[in-house]
Amino acid sequence: MAVNEIDRDLLEQGEYRGVRRVDYVPQIFNNQPARYYLMWLLLPAVLLLAAISLYPFVWLIYMSLHEVQLVPGKSDLWAGVDNFTRLFSDKNFARGWVTLFKYSALCLSVEISLGVLVAIILNNSRLEKFFITIFLMPMMMAPVVAGFLYMFLYNGTFGWYFWLLRSLGVLDGGTILGNKSWAMGAVVATDVWQWTPLIALITLAGLKRVPQEQLEANMVDGAGPIRNFFSVALPNLYPFLLIAILLRFMDNFRFIDTILIMTGGGPANATKILPTYLFDVSFKFFELGRGAAIAISLLLLTILLGLILTKVFEDPTHKLKADGTD
Amino acid sequence: MASREIVRYKSPARSAFSVLVIVFLIVFFVWTVLPLAIMLISSFKDLLDAFKLPAEGDWGGVGVMFDFTPTSAHYVELFTEKHFGLYIRNSLIAALGSAVVSVFLGTMAAYALSRAEFRGKKHLLFWIISTRMAPVVAVMVPLYVIFRSSGLVGTLPGLILAYTTFNLPFAIWILKGFFDNVPYAIEEAALVDGANRWQSLRMIMPLVAPGVGAFIVLCVLFSWNDFLFASIIGSGGAKTLPVATAELVQPVKIQWGSIMAAGVVTTAPMMFLGLLIRRYLVTGLTMGAVRE
Repeated sequence: MAVNEIDRDLLEQGEYRGVRRVDYVPQIFNNQPARYYLMWLLLPAVLLLAAISLYPFVWLIYMSLHEVQLVPGKSDLWAGVDNFTRLFSDKNFARGWVTLFKYSALCLSVEISLGVLVAIILNNSRLEKFFITIFLMPMMMAPVVAGFLYMFLYNGTFGWYFWLLRSLGVLDGGTILGNKSWAMGAVVATDVWQWTPLIALITLAGLKRVPQEQLEANMVDGAGPIRNFFSVALPNLYPFLLIAILLRFMDNFRFIDTILIMTGGGPANATKILPTYLFDVSFKFFELGRGAAIAISLLLLTILLGLILTKVFEDPTHKLKADGTD
Repeated sequence: MASREIVRYKSPARSAFSVLVIVFLIVFFVWTVLPLAIMLISSFKDLLDAFKLPAEGDWGGVGVMFDFTPTSAHYVELFTEKHFGLYIRNSLIAALGSAVVSVFLGTMAAYALSRAEFRGKKHLLFWIISTRMAPVVAVMVPLYVIFRSSGLVGTLPGLILAYTTFNLPFAIWILKGFFDNVPYAIEEAALVDGANRWQSLRMIMPLVAPGVGAFIVLCVLFSWNDFLFASIIGSGGAKTLPVATAELVQPVKIQWGSIMAAGVVTTAPMMFLGLLIRRYLVTGLTMGAVRE
């Protein structure tokens, strides 16, 4: 039946001339009906997504322009751009950004250097399979649980890491999480523990794509392993590392579970990254209008990152599939 | 590979270097596994044993860690007094519900996005991926107000919808990459043989089925591990495991034994699932950018 339909279509287009070679051009092939069919497939997902993301976004803009009242029966008060102008004089807001970037920079630099190092050591070694299995374990843990686990390890009376640091003589007095200069490092260490393995796995995948011929050619030319890494492997790894950095940076402000659990932003705001501040403003003080304004500023960063990410995904020079046969 | 192994000559510098490498690997291994081991061990210790530490600088006293009589009291307490069975059920329903909805709708949409060309497709795709990347707290601010007024706060459907905000874009985006790798020629051949469009889609499903399965698991993982949505939108009637774990922290005393046990209960199934979908894990966690 369908065959007949196709024949009719071709006849209608006046292209049917007996023997005919059909090249791979799906667009010509029964174009219109397929399009509507595909649109119908697309529609439910798009509608649902619009309902739970676009509609709230409109609400977010509305909220940022109002003083939101949570008491039933009271209507929201028009606030204009007050919520936004107040942000400029809000010290915690500016500090939140600074702390966020500091936190991300610390996390990323340690994770990338450690992860790449581990990956290089493990690549093609006998232990590779074993370590990959080990790597999976911290990544699968809920951030909350990781937060509690590290809180337990850092505890000032029975924490093993506390004991370790004291025994090594690095920690002078006080607890780890209660100390302004240690708290940030402690939170970063948790993130590093959980996510360095991901960087290592990404780098391992990248190292598998480094053309062996180039490495060999370089070696024949007399380069040592270190030179080889910096002039051949690293340039090939670059797109992978870029992806890793972008994704980890994104997650650093997407998930604040560990920080919320471990320090709640303290001590003395030392670990209060912007999303944590947003959480406090919105769900502790319930100033949802102001929260909305902060949320919009965070979303702007998200959109910026998204633009970069899609560029990386699309750019043909950054195509991560070596041969396209995956 | 022509010659992956290149002849290496032994030299003192090289053997010193390899010793360094081995030491580094051991340290990294311990650093990764130790917290997990401590969690597991502590969950079987009673209160006194869990708080035992060697004296400062007493390196030989590390054995104290293993000096205890194992007790399953914390696990028993979780499931009898703390109703963890109920929270596991809540977690499962919320996670599975959102995962199934997301992957079902996501598969259809991903197939369409992979096959269709239309104006504005790029913008649509960008909207989808940026939805997924939005910070959870920022998404939650308006969602909380909307759900509050429609009575969805504290219910499982509300939580499922909330999880769908990040699972659905994830499923669409990542499955699109999967369909992109399936040649259209297969469907074309099916069509020529008299299949209709729906049948031709079913024809290529076996090719993407492993991926679809793996991403259901990943969606379950993302929602299972979520804390923020569950603590605000699920607060009250739809308490999930992470929230229940956090509630073990009480003003008077933190019940560390129970928390560690709850941690094991929350983490163990996800680790098992993670091993199960090992092949797709990196692809999933990097939004399809990196394939192994």
